[in-house]
Amino acid sequence: MKIHLPYAGLLLTLALAPWIIPIIGDPFWLSVLTEIIIWSCFAASINFLFGYVGLLSFGQALFFGFGMYGVGIGISSFQLPFWPAFFLGPFSATVMALITGIFAVRLTWHYFAIITVVFSLIFYFLALTLKSITGGDDGINFSLPDLFNFMGYTVSLTNTTTQYFFTLGVVVLCFWLIKIVMSSPYGRCLIAIRDNDVRASLIGINVYKLRLSAFVIAGFLAGVSGALFALFGRYASASYMFYHVSGEGVVWAIVGGVGTLLGPAIGTGVFILIREVVSSHWQHHALIVGAFAICIVIFAPEGIVGLWKKYSKRGPK
Amino acid sequence: MNQTIIALAINGIVFGLIVALIALGLSIIFGLLDIINLSHGDFFMVGTVFAYTTLSVLGHFWPALIIAPLIGFALGALIQFSIIQRIKNNAALSIVATFGLSMIIQEIVRMTFGAAPKRIMPPITGTFGMFGIEYEWYRIFAAIASIVAIGSFFIFLKSTKLGVWMRAVRHDRDTATTMGIPTQKVYLFTFGIGFAMAAVGGVIAAPITTVDFRTGVDILPFCFMAVIIGGLGNLPGTVAAAVLLAFLEGVISGFATPTIARIFSLVLMSSVLLIRPQGLFKGLTK
Repeated sequence: MKIHLPYAGLLLTLALAPWIIPIIGDPFWLSVLTEIIIWSCFAASINFLFGYVGLLSFGQALFFGFGMYGVGIGISSFQLPFWPAFFLGPFSATVMALITGIFAVRLTWHYFAIITVVFSLIFYFLALTLKSITGGDDGINFSLPDLFNFMGYTVSLTNTTTQYFFTLGVVVLCFWLIKIVMSSPYGRCLIAIRDNDVRASLIGINVYKLRLSAFVIAGFLAGVSGALFALFGRYASASYMFYHVSGEGVVWAIVGGVGTLLGPAIGTGVFILIREVVSSHWQHHALIVGAFAICIVIFAPEGIVGLWKKYSKRGPK
Repeated sequence: MNQTIIALAINGIVFGLIVALIALGLSIIFGLLDIINLSHGDFFMVGTVFAYTTLSVLGHFWPALIIAPLIGFALGALIQFSIIQRIKNNAALSIVATFGLSMIIQEIVRMTFGAAPKRIMPPITGTFGMFGIEYEWYRIFAAIASIVAIGSFFIFLKSTKLGVWMRAVRHDRDTATTMGIPTQKVYLFTFGIGFAMAAVGGVIAAPITTVDFRTGVDILPFCFMAVIIGGLGNLPGTVAAAVLLAFLEGVISGFATPTIARIFSLVLMSSVLLIRPQGLFKGLTK
């Protein structure tokens, strides 16, 4: 049980956050926390590929965008109720990941990074062109359907606290899924591929198929975060498919600690917090964020989690 | 219609030569230091800002062609010394570091220069007739200036001591070090030269494009694609790929919107990556 203690503590804190935050500060921070949780799932998707399979994807924003548009188009064009629309987002992202993955995972390292950027750029420009469907750069706005409507009693995500718990629940499920996958024999095979793909193939692991399946899982995770973000902002926009969004996710994952479960979430949290705290005082917050990223890389190349492990191993005296 | 396509095709070649200049810097930084430089597009953007500032402070455009590479070289060497050297050529870390650097550069430009895009007038005005179209003189100058810069870079690489050192370090770092080549100094110069070349590209391109703190983000993928399609480490291939890509995009944009032309060239690029990941020109130059 010793290992699970931090997880339990973190979960408890997160579960109590809607009541703690109004005591210590502005309730506005609850939406910031919601946003952090959503983007954590995105960073986790990048970490899943890079940290566990060794594939650095610069195109995860593509699946984030598909998750967003799945929900957005589902609600605004197809008039879908909440749950079908919410499933359409990650579903379309997963299908897209399968299609692009068939080509992308043939390549590794630099080539893989470039082809994922190329794929995401293709769909970014497509989304810009097909304005009638996607709304282009302006995006599409929609109003939220109800989560449940039972005998006149409705639960809707328009309530910030409901939204928070819905997001938290979904993302915790995703992280739990990652944990289960990574402790299964399948996860061990992925790690083997990351460490040495030639050796992995020699002991009978089908490297191509496993990489493809990991790519699809990562696409699903990015799709979930995109769908959640669409519900959070109540809009979907092509600008979230640009490669710069993927780049930010890569930075969050690496700064937090690649190849760890909570590293991406911590990296995301730190960066969004810095942005929110500094930007209310000083409009040039990007300077601080950039400098922080550089400092982490220089002084803690293993990321924040790596730094923490190193420090706690030395032990307090 | 025909004339428009010719004009667009020539525009493409001119732009491709400028991109080649930037992509060469990216390629040597990548080849020598193993650094994936996400801030390289911003080095280009800094060049365009230098052009604008020189024009508004000194009243002339031309000094920028000297000032920009000099300051660019100094800045590049400073960045290498203070940041890149410390991350010990680790490609994954270099992504984070240069992403942070890119944010810092963009923010500094936004603070000092302003967020609104600006335009500058070409220092050479006037047009001339060619294939039945009126073509701007400045674009011809831009093409020639890029060719001169690219040419002098190759001459530098072939026949100066430093150039030989750079090629030696790229070929085999450890042997080069044991042979007494000051590797650290070579790294410093390489990064400086990479920045300087992107800055020159920026100065040349400034009158053709807009001066905006976000320009670098748009041009960066294009440069990376030129490097990969030309073949990693194949410098002449990089130049050829940049020109070819921009030319194709120019021609296609004669038939469709620029966005669709961009999509076409991206699809083309992904098929090249899948069919010939070693680059289009492997086996042709060596």
